[in-house]
Amino acid sequence: MGTTNEAGGTNRTGETPESASATVEDGSASVTEEGSELERSIGLVGGLSIGIGTMIGAGIFVFPGLAAGRAGPAAAGSFAIGAVIALLVALPASELATAMPKSGGGYYYISRALGTLPGAVVGISIWLGLVFATAFYLVSFGNYAAALLSEGGVNLAGLPIVDALALVFGVALTALNLVGTENAAKLQNYVVGLLLTILVLFLSYGSLDVLGVFGTESTPEQFMPFGPMPMFTTAALVFTSYLGFAQVATVAGDIKNPGRNLPLAMVGSVLTVAVLYVATIFVATSAFGSGPLAGFGETAIVEVARAFFGDAGALAILLGGLLATVSSANASILSTSRAVFAVSKDALLPTVASRVNLQYGTPHVALSMAGGPVLVLIALGEVEVLAEVASFLHLIMYGLMCVALIVMRRDEPEWYDPDFRVPAHRLVAGVGALASFGLIAFMQRESQIVGVAIMLGAAGWYKYYAADVKLKGVL
Amino acid sequence: MSENEYMPDLTVEGEPLAIREPPKVLVPIEVLEGESISESLVEFLAPAEVVLLGYHVLPDQTSTEQASLQFEDRARSAIDEIATAFRELGGEVETRVAFTHDRDATVDRVAADAAATAVLLPNPVGDVEEVVVPIRGAIDGDRLADLVATLLVGRGGSVTLWGLDIDEFDTQAAVDRVRETLTGRGLAAERIRTEVTDVDSPVRAVVDRSGEFDVIVMGEGGPGLLSSLFGDPSERVAEGAVAPVLVVRDR
Repeated sequence: MGTTNEAGGTNRTGETPESASATVEDGSASVTEEGSELERSIGLVGGLSIGIGTMIGAGIFVFPGLAAGRAGPAAAGSFAIGAVIALLVALPASELATAMPKSGGGYYYISRALGTLPGAVVGISIWLGLVFATAFYLVSFGNYAAALLSEGGVNLAGLPIVDALALVFGVALTALNLVGTENAAKLQNYVVGLLLTILVLFLSYGSLDVLGVFGTESTPEQFMPFGPMPMFTTAALVFTSYLGFAQVATVAGDIKNPGRNLPLAMVGSVLTVAVLYVATIFVATSAFGSGPLAGFGETAIVEVARAFFGDAGALAILLGGLLATVSSANASILSTSRAVFAVSKDALLPTVASRVNLQYGTPHVALSMAGGPVLVLIALGEVEVLAEVASFLHLIMYGLMCVALIVMRRDEPEWYDPDFRVPAHRLVAGVGALASFGLIAFMQRESQIVGVAIMLGAAGWYKYYAADVKLKGVL
Repeated sequence: MSENEYMPDLTVEGEPLAIREPPKVLVPIEVLEGESISESLVEFLAPAEVVLLGYHVLPDQTSTEQASLQFEDRARSAIDEIATAFRELGGEVETRVAFTHDRDATVDRVAADAAATAVLLPNPVGDVEEVVVPIRGAIDGDRLADLVATLLVGRGGSVTLWGLDIDEFDTQAAVDRVRETLTGRGLAAERIRTEVTDVDSPVRAVVDRSGEFDVIVMGEGGPGLLSSLFGDPSERVAEGAVAPVLVVRDR
């Protein structure tokens, strides 16, 4: 560990890491060095709704068709594998988050435990990873909005309606975040609550139906029509649906009773969405068989709902899809801005990136650095590859978080005092790291190349801009 | 709430009590929005211990840490300026600065943390001459009397104890008890007026007459169905009234 307690060094323009390190005073506020109080106002429900809201967009409304096409009913197994890996990472992340309840999440832990270079690589690539994920959510939103329009009889065939809707909504969300003073967190809670209600009703009915409680029992098709291997490669694809629990950690600085609420929110949101995902695949593949399901593409779940409830069901699920993709995109834009703030606070990016606009009270530069590139990506297309690149970059961060836990436990700096300690941490974090890096091996070559290129670019930026900045071992 | 809590023991072995604990008033000011506090209110509150809370409310998309990095110094100097005004009048002042997403949570937390007797809900006011204490139901007479006596004993002006009669509560008795407690704290009897009115809605009654008074001192009002729907009675009064409201906190 470093010999000093202060973050040190300067970047190319002479800026130093800000050391306004807030120490937790009690569960409901922390205090800065100058003595100002920072209210912690997000409770357990708020934390869960950030986690669930970010994750649920992709797993249910985007992947069932895609995943069933690749792995058959074993896609349910792919989602279960994803959940186990997510949990193996969520536990170490929870311990690190309770020891360092700061904005920035994974970037913060990695830079403090492993040093500035890994920190910079993760911080910058997570910014881009979140941007890719947001673009992906918005395109999914476009798909649902277009489907809803055609359901309502509006015929726009031949127009690039999906991308147009995604763009329009991307602009609207960014603008809303830039000037909005409405209570976005409360709104997110309601959106997620409504969405969960729709899904639980739909999946309960669907499960009972395919199990033969009423209606006729469906004949299950072969569980692994394509063998076990596609189950693992598909797990790599659908892991995007779990890229959300760590977003809870990016707002850790605003979470009430972080020692209790952070672990509960992270683990709880993974478990909640995992159950819903597995149930969705089970119901969907039982109702249609994986072949036809794959044919429906990204709105497969809508056809499933139509099969059970007619057009009203289709409309309800379309509405759910809109809510889910919006909440995912919105939560991601918010975490992007927190991620940018955390990195620029440490002088790894120009500190102008963390400026707050006094009139609206919003971090306008960081929000633009989230929303701007998203719009460019949507306009360029190619978001499916980018979704996998987002997974790639997140998996790097997850793996390194596990390594960070092992390092932190080995060195145990004086200030390291987590409220939550992972039992058998070497085993959990070790397997978590191996699994995270292992999933990367199953990805498409193209995504791997783009991912590595981004990391190299981030490392190059660090060498050029902030090679002198020291963050390791500093709270 | 047991009867004793709002029917204070006025005497110890027959002797009137002096002011038992110096009252502390929490004054929350949205300091970066240019909110301030008028000179006459500073002068009125100066006899009490004052906790000045400069707060800034942020939208959810901004982390409090991020805003504090940038605005902490500005918030501090603004709140220190207001504190100076109190100190020049001999008042005892503690300053705090908070960044929050939730104003009410912050004010409640700081009030509890500082053990404040009352919280000021600011409204503009001229010179303070007339203080009204609406009494409707249970009220912590001791703390209220400590506060009102501390603020009024060393200056002019009078206080009106206004009983708002809602059924199932002996308002006249409550008003008389507060009156006795106040005189026990050293406030001259001729400066205390009392009246009792039948009302349907205490909040509306207070708001309607708020123009006749300069400062309203009232109890928190406790939780209830109406409170959870529309906010605390004291907050609703502060929204509608033209006078500042001092809310005596429940313990």
